[in-house]
Amino acid sequence: MKKKLKKLEKAAPELIPIEDFITPLKYSESSRMRSLPALSPQESERRVLLLKKWCLFKQKQDEAEKKAIKGLVESQQEALRELRLESEELYQAAVRRDEGLFPFQRDGPTYTPPLPGYDPPEGKCIDITKVYTQ
Amino acid sequence: MFALLSFSGDALLGCHRSYRSRPTHGIGRFKYLLPKEVPKRKKEKVQMKEISEGTEYQYGDINIQMTSYDVCLVEHFAQYVHRLCNRLSIRVNESYAMPTKTNEVLFLEERGSKMQLDAVLTTHQRVVQIRGLSSTFAPILLEIIQSNQPEGVHLLMKQHTEADFKSRLKSRPELEELLAEMS
Repeated sequence: MKKKLKKLEKAAPELIPIEDFITPLKYSESSRMRSLPALSPQESERRVLLLKKWCLFKQKQDEAEKKAIKGLVESQQEALRELRLESEELYQAAVRRDEGLFPFQRDGPTYTPPLPGYDPPEGKCIDITKVYTQ
Repeated sequence: MFALLSFSGDALLGCHRSYRSRPTHGIGRFKYLLPKEVPKRKKEKVQMKEISEGTEYQYGDINIQMTSYDVCLVEHFAQYVHRLCNRLSIRVNESYAMPTKTNEVLFLEERGSKMQLDAVLTTHQRVVQIRGLSSTFAPILLEIIQSNQPEGVHLLMKQHTEADFKSRLKSRPELEELLAEMS
């Protein structure tokens, strides 16, 4: 029996395969092609110009975000410098790490607020995840 | 009579006519000219990396776990967080996916007592592990991630533990049985 244990312990533990990264066979077997209609030159022109406008908009947005981050960091550093000049004790306490910060949870925002007076139907959830064993 | 030279590139072993004193010795050698071949590595064992605790002014290993029903959203958000950490020069240890969970949702019909299948939902989770986050920068990072959080993506940030790593591995019931029997 000890031999069995040794043999089992020798085998390295394996990671559970992730189903997201395995393409189902039905998408790779048959050749399914989408037949797209031909675009008129005006339409393609319009699309290219729209893409350029979108790129510019996103660039401005990204730059604004970077600027905001920089501003936040700088104002924080300035506040800490001022605090240091005020009192060394408070500064040391402020720079310490916050134990109550983690674990931190937040649900993503929703498109619409919850409906008032909504009566959901009765039901249940069954977990049918495939259990892998080594 | 011809004796064929073997094409292993090694003159001494291949050919039985080795005229070591002649100037033509080693005339067929070519392997020394080729780039050095890295020996084929065996399959790397899945081992847990060291979990750092962090100092008083730095957090240790932190897992940013993003969960959602939508694969594309969660993947793109994970990519965004990873690139953000790269840009802010925060060290990213690992960026992996947790196994997907499938749930069958059944609801009770209005007239009748039979449960009817409504939908099959898949929950996807991506994890970005970072190390060495300074205590002053942590709230700023949290703020940025929260402001860019997409709809329906649930964010969770916690310290990395061994249990988190073990949950990624396959269960070994035989080993556990034997261990239980032994003790």
